[in-house]
Amino acid sequence: MSLMEAKGVTRRFGGLTAVNAVDFRVEQGEIVGLIGPNGAGKTTFFNLISGFLRPDEGEIRFDGQSIIGHKPSDICKRGMTRTFQIVKPFPEMTVTDNVMVGAFNHHRDRAAARAKASEVIELVGLGPQAAKLGRELTVAGRKRVELAKALATEPKLMLLDEVMAGLTPSEVAGMIEVLGRVRAAGVTMVIVEHVMQVIMNLSDRIYVLHHGEAIAEGAPDQIVSDAKVTKAYLGESFVAEAGGGAAS
Amino acid sequence: MAALRANWFYLAVLIGLLILPAYAESEFVTAVMPRGLSGSALLHIFVLIFFFAFMSQAWNIIGGFAGQLSIGHAAFFGIGAYVSTICYVHLGLTPWLGMFVAAVFTALVGAGLGLISFHYGLKGPFFALVTVAFAEITRLILLHWEFVGAANGILLPFSPNPTFWEFQFTSKEPYYYIALAMMLASIALVAWIARSRFGYYLHAIRQDEDAAEAVGVPTKRCKVQAIALSAALAGLGGTFYAQYTQYIVPDDMVVGRVSVEILLGAVIGGAGTVMGPIVGAFILIPVGEATRVIFEGGGTGTSLSTLIAADMSFGDKFVAYLDYLAAGGGGGLAIILYGCLLMVVVLGMPGGVLPWLAGLRARARRRAEASA
Repeated sequence: MSLMEAKGVTRRFGGLTAVNAVDFRVEQGEIVGLIGPNGAGKTTFFNLISGFLRPDEGEIRFDGQSIIGHKPSDICKRGMTRTFQIVKPFPEMTVTDNVMVGAFNHHRDRAAARAKASEVIELVGLGPQAAKLGRELTVAGRKRVELAKALATEPKLMLLDEVMAGLTPSEVAGMIEVLGRVRAAGVTMVIVEHVMQVIMNLSDRIYVLHHGEAIAEGAPDQIVSDAKVTKAYLGESFVAEAGGGAAS
Repeated sequence: MAALRANWFYLAVLIGLLILPAYAESEFVTAVMPRGLSGSALLHIFVLIFFFAFMSQAWNIIGGFAGQLSIGHAAFFGIGAYVSTICYVHLGLTPWLGMFVAAVFTALVGAGLGLISFHYGLKGPFFALVTVAFAEITRLILLHWEFVGAANGILLPFSPNPTFWEFQFTSKEPYYYIALAMMLASIALVAWIARSRFGYYLHAIRQDEDAAEAVGVPTKRCKVQAIALSAALAGLGGTFYAQYTQYIVPDDMVVGRVSVEILLGAVIGGAGTVMGPIVGAFILIPVGEATRVIFEGGGTGTSLSTLIAADMSFGDKFVAYLDYLAAGGGGGLAIILYGCLLMVVVLGMPGGVLPWLAGLRARARRRAEASA
């Protein structure tokens, strides 16, 4: 049984079909990449599976149970948590308090939530900034808080919406290292990303969305050699580059 | 360390408040009180401060912590007063128990209002408008419902030799201590909430509802619980007010002015902080009373225009002006002054007095660190 499985998920906004009959599945322990050009429906798809939007058609099962019509907080309780592309730290709370809000998901007690929060803060490398307010952080710091808040809810599956966007190359390297630790901790992940280097290196499997449809699915090397994907998204030069890299 | 100093300050104030009634009629107090104010008037002002601090603290739970602006808390306050008073007048139930009947009733009303509003996703100004409308509907119902005295309200039966059980007292002191106890209890409750999961959830909801929902905060349920609790406390306040004034009437209680006074304490002191509403009430009530006492009253004597036109030196004119004010001239000047003061505070300290002080301290600390 897959950890999460979506079948024929469709969502329309007026005349526009943002997500069209998408089949999607995630196995326990995988990192699944989700790519596609701007406006392909990646964020809408995230909103659908995390409960922020309700699909017009289709079925979404998490851990064997349908989650259609459940509130995001309820889906989070069951073990699927998402982050936001436009990060949402609580601006007037310290980093610790931000992460504690997530930790309260499984710990009613304040001291236990605080302990869990410190553990996660160390994991994502935010230790030195724990006492800063959410609004005082840099973009890189905010992205890490976003990740830490989600991790503190102790998810089985984490949906990461562009956690690398806006980061410098060295910050991206740092974030990749963090995601490696998260994976080692046994968390399954779905990542939406535009930084190809990241998605190709991290993902076990990749889905490609285009105009709301899943046009390809497969291992990273299959994806780069897929003609449809190349045409829709990656561009000829990327293939040439990747091919050259493999040859050298 | 700053927190420790603040605690000592609060403790000193508390001790002062506990012993104040014993000295209300002392020569010292009489000497420093403004002209014509007795010790009993001083106690009355403190009862008002405690009462509004308590009401503001009640508002703080939904309006401050959860960030859902209610401009209709006068409705919960009024309903609470009416429920316990009806229980007292018609059923003979002591207000000591009636106040809890009132609290349960207002909690249910609050929860109902919250369920409807939050189910339809009303936020910000839209939720605020619903609370305004709700208060106005409440006022109109009370105003036209014969059973509760309609426009005449209810005059509580006065007993010449009241017992404690009747929640009536011939002197101000018992009311003083009851109001003080209610204020302290509300502080304790909110301090506990602030450290609990519920408090964290409410703060998260105020700052970003979607982000809160995403990390497992059941935002709708939390908001409904917050407004129910807030309404319950406001209902308790209503009972106290009814017993203190012995007379309840819709047009004095369930009006916009009262709703605004309730939320102002928290907004001025610092909405969403534990001590904000208390600090706010301790600033607002004395300022309000002082401007009223100084600038209002009989309004007799010379008019301002004759004073301006009078042929005398500037110094004499100024003294005459002070006399004019002291004699109760000025009329609406009190409200204008009060309003100007509010504007200065709101513009200068947008988060309220306590967050402003905290900001000053943080800046001073950073400067000290930078120079070290």
